[in-house]
Amino acid sequence: MRLSASTTFDPSDTRGAAMAMLGLAAVLPLLPGHAGLPCPLRTLTGVPCPMCGMTTSVEATAHGHLGSALLANPAGPFAVLVALFLLVRRPRRVIRVPIVLVVGTLLALWLFELHRFSLI
Amino acid sequence: MYPPPPQSAPPYSGGASGPRAGFWSRFAALFIDSIIVAIIPIILIAIGASSNSSGLLVFGYIVWIVGYIAYFVYFEGGESGQTPGKRMLGIRIIDFNTGGPIGYGRAFLRLIGRWIAGIFCYLGYLWMLWDKEKQCWQDKMANDVVVPVQYYPIP
Repeated sequence: MRLSASTTFDPSDTRGAAMAMLGLAAVLPLLPGHAGLPCPLRTLTGVPCPMCGMTTSVEATAHGHLGSALLANPAGPFAVLVALFLLVRRPRRVIRVPIVLVVGTLLALWLFELHRFSLI
Repeated sequence: MYPPPPQSAPPYSGGASGPRAGFWSRFAALFIDSIIVAIIPIILIAIGASSNSSGLLVFGYIVWIVGYIAYFVYFEGGESGQTPGKRMLGIRIIDFNTGGPIGYGRAFLRLIGRWIAGIFCYLGYLWMLWDKEKQCWQDKMANDVVVPVQYYPIP
């Protein structure tokens, strides 16, 4: 793989997912019991995945608690921003995302979560 | 003069042997499916929590796990190879060799493959970013490819 290789991000593909995410973030805290989406990996092995804490983080961001959002998973506020951008600005153009950026971000988030759960 | 040789087979380019679904459309489809699967269990858990019924709470989580397995095996193993999320994104799963459905057994294998693919920082999912046929580990395990419906219409 070339280091400059990239993956094509078509904004129209992810609009439905963005809507679902923001809807869930708005509704979840209103429900009693406050069900989170449990991480199958962490539930079974105790090892967190890079996306652990995302439900908490996105929810907290949607309700203005930026501090606790960043502590759960720094990608939450970013995901909310991207979702709002996709839904409000409705970009038409296809965006090229470098593969190293995708892999690098996930690795960084994984290290963050491993540290949050005191594994490193 | 002889006519030029027939050019039935396209020249080998080193890429996939046909159009493949992209990373972000597959990501979005899985995201939507995960939320669809979660709706009923989340309601059950909410009712269980508000009525202080631990039985209903546990039932909610069981419905979640069983529902998740049933959902993906039923839809991905079916004739169209499409979950509702994949249908929204216009993509489907086909057998790599025959182009037909993968069936329920391999759909279950694919589910296990997905779990394995997620263990090491989602390496198995990221695999499609540099794989020639854009296959994740679960695709390799079930010998399938994910393709745009536009190029591979449902029979």
